[in-house]
Amino acid sequence: MIRCIKNLLCLVVPLLLAGCEGILDGLYDEPQPIVAREGQIVVDASDWGTWHYIDFNRPDSIQSHPIPTILTGETDGKSGQYLYWFDVWGEGIRKNEFREFTPCDAQCDPEEWAIAVHRNNVRTNGGEVLETSFSSMDELPETSEPFHNMRFTPDEWSENEVWDSQEQMLLCLIPSQGINVNKVLSSWLTMDIPPMPPAFTRNPHVFILRLKDGTYAALQLANYVSPSGVKCYLTINYKYPY
Amino acid sequence: MNRRFYTTLLVMLHVLAVNAQVNVQSVDSLDKELDLHEVVVTGTRTPKFLKDTPIQTRVITSRDIQRTDATNVMDLLTQELPGVEFSYAMNQQTHLNFAGFGGQGVLFLVDGERLAGETMDDVDFSRLTMAGVERIEIVKGAASALYGSNATGGVINIITKKMHSPWTLNVGGRYGKHNQQRYDASWGVSRKRWSNMLTANYNSLDNYDVKSDANPATRVISTIYGDKTLNLKEQMTWKASERLSLSGRLGYFFRETCRTPEMPERYRDFSGGVRSLWHISDKDVLEANYAFDQYDKSDFQRLVGLDIRDYSNVQNTLRTLYHHTFEHGDPSIGLRTSVLTIGADYMHDYLFNSNLAATKYHQGNFDVFAQYDWQISDRLEVVGALRYDWFSDTHDSHLTPKLNARYKILHNLALRAGYGMGFRAPTLKEKYYNFDMSGIWIVEGNPQLKPEVSHNFNVSAEYTRGHYNLTASAYYNLVTNKIATSLPYFQSPTDRLPYLPYSNLDRYNVYGAELGAQARWSSGISARLTYAFTREELPTNKDGQQTNNQYIPARPHSLNASINYDHAFTSHYGISIGLSGRVLSSVKSTEYRNYYDISQGTVTINYPAYTIWKLSLVQTICDAFRLTLALDNLFNYRPRYYYLNAPITDGAWFQVGLCMDIDKIGKSCRK
Repeated sequence: MIRCIKNLLCLVVPLLLAGCEGILDGLYDEPQPIVAREGQIVVDASDWGTWHYIDFNRPDSIQSHPIPTILTGETDGKSGQYLYWFDVWGEGIRKNEFREFTPCDAQCDPEEWAIAVHRNNVRTNGGEVLETSFSSMDELPETSEPFHNMRFTPDEWSENEVWDSQEQMLLCLIPSQGINVNKVLSSWLTMDIPPMPPAFTRNPHVFILRLKDGTYAALQLANYVSPSGVKCYLTINYKYPY
Repeated sequence: MNRRFYTTLLVMLHVLAVNAQVNVQSVDSLDKELDLHEVVVTGTRTPKFLKDTPIQTRVITSRDIQRTDATNVMDLLTQELPGVEFSYAMNQQTHLNFAGFGGQGVLFLVDGERLAGETMDDVDFSRLTMAGVERIEIVKGAASALYGSNATGGVINIITKKMHSPWTLNVGGRYGKHNQQRYDASWGVSRKRWSNMLTANYNSLDNYDVKSDANPATRVISTIYGDKTLNLKEQMTWKASERLSLSGRLGYFFRETCRTPEMPERYRDFSGGVRSLWHISDKDVLEANYAFDQYDKSDFQRLVGLDIRDYSNVQNTLRTLYHHTFEHGDPSIGLRTSVLTIGADYMHDYLFNSNLAATKYHQGNFDVFAQYDWQISDRLEVVGALRYDWFSDTHDSHLTPKLNARYKILHNLALRAGYGMGFRAPTLKEKYYNFDMSGIWIVEGNPQLKPEVSHNFNVSAEYTRGHYNLTASAYYNLVTNKIATSLPYFQSPTDRLPYLPYSNLDRYNVYGAELGAQARWSSGISARLTYAFTREELPTNKDGQQTNNQYIPARPHSLNASINYDHAFTSHYGISIGLSGRVLSSVKSTEYRNYYDISQGTVTINYPAYTIWKLSLVQTICDAFRLTLALDNLFNYRPRYYYLNAPITDGAWFQVGLCMDIDKIGKSCRK
C-alpha cells in the first residue's frame, strides 16, 4: 500500500510543480518588434485618426498628421466628415447611405511625401498606381520600363472609405474623411464587414507607383499585423527608384 | 411549418396508441429498457440507480449518443433536451442557454472534473466530443453544495467509457455538406490488473455563407465559421489490489477557426490527472485525485509564421473524498443503507489574458463539504449537504446548503423535492477585465463584485408503468446579485468610448417546468416526447433601471420528440430508423435602442420560432459495421433572418457515416 501511495505521489508532485502557470510554453512565439529589413518600411497605421506620410527618399522618417475633425477657418465646401449609415449588422458595408456632412479643415500634408497610409487606405502625392500580377519583388523586371505604357490610376475622391471613428459603430453610423485616395493601391488591404469584427484580406501583388516627378516605385504589402496582433500595422516592401 | 409539425406529432401519437394496445400484455425488464437501472453519480457523488436517486437526473445513454450520431455535446443536447439552446454571442462565440441560465451558471464536468477556459462566459463546447463517451448525466438546478461555484443552474457531467472487454478497436468516419468530416478511432485493452483506452477524434467543417432577407430587426450572421478540431484522450487504470485502483489520464485538444485567412484563431487544451480509489473496507471508500487542465488561445500569424498566445487558463485541482456507508433497519426484512460523504478540494486558478489590467492573476479556491444520504425507509430518502468555499483573491467565502428528498408513493411512482443554493464566485476576468471591444466600448472589470447566489426549489414526479415512463417537474430560481455587464456609461465627458462595467444586478426569477413521456416496446419501437417551459425574467440593476439582455433569453416553449424503430432481420443484419425533431417557440428580447444614449430606452426584438427534424437510418451488419445515413433538417428549413439564435443551417443536410468495431468482425460474422 505504501508503495502504491509513493508511486502516486511520484506522479502527482512533478505535475503540480510544473503546472501552476501552465506547460508547453515553447509551443508559442513571444511577440518581438518587427525590424525593417533593407527595402522595407514598417509603419503602425492602426490609429483611426491619423495619416502617416512616407517619403521614399527618407524612408526612416515617417511623419504623422491627424485627420481634422473641426473647422478653424473657412470651409472649402468639400473637406470634412461625411457621416454614413452602413449596414454593419445586416447585409454589410457595401450597403450604405449618406446621413450628414460636417465641414472640417482640409488635411494638412507635409512638404515632401510619396504615399500616406491610414489603416487600409492609401493616398499618393499626385501619383498614379498600377497593380501587377507579380507576387514577389524578386520576380519584377529589372526596371519599371515594361510598365510605363500601361494604364495607371490616379487618386480619386472618397467620402465613405476613410473611416476615422468607431464611436457610433453599434448604431451603424461611421464618419469618414472626405479626401482623395488611391483605390488601386488601397486594394493591397481590403476590409470587409460582415463578419464583425471586420475581416482583412491582403492582396499579395506588387504595385507600381508613378510619382508626380515621373519616377517609379514598386510596392508590396508584406504584412498588416503587429507582433501582438494589431491589424493595420503595415510592413511594406519597396524598391525606389525603380 | 406548423402543419408539418402537427401532422408528424399526430403520426407519433397514433403509433404510441397502437403500440400500447399491441404490447399491453408484454412484460419485460422495463426499468432496464427505460434506462432506470442506469447507475448515476452526479446528483450525490456516489453511485446510485437512476430510479433511486433523490435528485432528479436525466441520463443520455451511450445508446442515445449512438442513435443521435452526435459529434459533440452541443449537437447531442440540442437533439435530446428541450430548454437547451446554443446560440451565438458577439463574434459568433457559442453561448448556451440552459433552462434560463447561461454558460457561467451551468457547470460542465468530464468524469467529475471542471474544464478550464471560457469565451464569452462559456466553456469550449467543441472540446466535448462524443467519441469515447459512456453517458451524460444532467442535474438541473443548483448543485453548488457539492460542486461549488458555477453550479447555479445545473451540472452536466460527461462520463467517459471504461474498458471491460479484453480488447476493442473501433474506427469510424462521417461525411456531410460543406465538407463536414468526422473521423473517430478508439483502441482499448484490458488485462487482469490494468486497462487502457486511447481515443482520437478529428472534425472539420468549411466556412460557408448564409443569406438573410432585407431589413433584419437586429444583427444577422452572414458567414458560418467552421473549424478543425483534434481531440486525443488516453486513460489507463491499474488495479493494484482488489481494493485499490489507480488511474491516470492525458488529453490534448486543438481547434482552429479561420475568420481571417491569414490569422486563424487557435485553441488548445492540455489535460491530465491521476485518481486513486481505495475501498478501505466494505463500508469505507477513499478517493483522492489530482487534475490539471490548461486552455490556451492564440492567433497564428500565417504571413510570418508566428503563433502568439493571448489567453491561458490553468487549473490545478487536488481533491479527496471519503464515503462511509451505514447499515440500519431490520436485517430480517432487508437492511437500509445511508451514506456519509466528506470531501475537500483545493483548486489553483491561473489566468493570463492580454486584456486583463495586470495580464496575469492567480487565485486559490479551498472548500470542504459534507453530505448525508439518509435512507429513512424503503419509501423515503433524504439527502442533505453543506459546503464551505473560500477564495484567496479577495478573501471571499461562501456557505452553501442543499436538501433533497425522494418519496416513493407506489413502487412505480416517485416524488422528489429539493432546495439547493447555488453560487457563482466572480471570475478573475469579471474582476480585472479591461478590454477595448473593437473600439465599441470598454468592458470593465469590477474587483468589488459579490458572488451571484441562486435559491433553487424543485419538485418532480416520475411514474413508470408497463412500457411507459412519465415525468413532470417544476423549478423556481431566485437569483440575487447576478453578475453581468450593466449599463454603459461615460466616466468623463471627454471619454470617446463608453464603459461597460461588470456589476451585481438586482434579484430576478427564473422558473419553468418540464413534462416528459417515453415508451419502449418489444416490437422495437421507442418514442420520447419532452416539453419544457422556461421563463427568464430580465434583471434590473440595483437602482431598478432596466438593463439590456446580455444574451438572448431562453425561448419560453420548447419541445423535443423522437421515434425509433429497431429491428434485427437476422443475426447479421439489423436496422434502426429514427425521426427526431425539436420545436422552439419565438422569444422576445429587450435591447437598447441606442447603446450610446440609454436614456432613449429599449426596444423589444422578436426572434422567430422554428422547428428542425432529422431522419436517420442505421444499418448494422454482422454486429461490427454500422452504416449511418441521415438527413438533418428534413424539411429544408432556412431561417429568413440568420439572427444570433437562428438554427445554423442552410437547408437539408445529408450525412453518411461508417463505423467499424474491428474486434467484432471475426466473431459476429462467424455466428
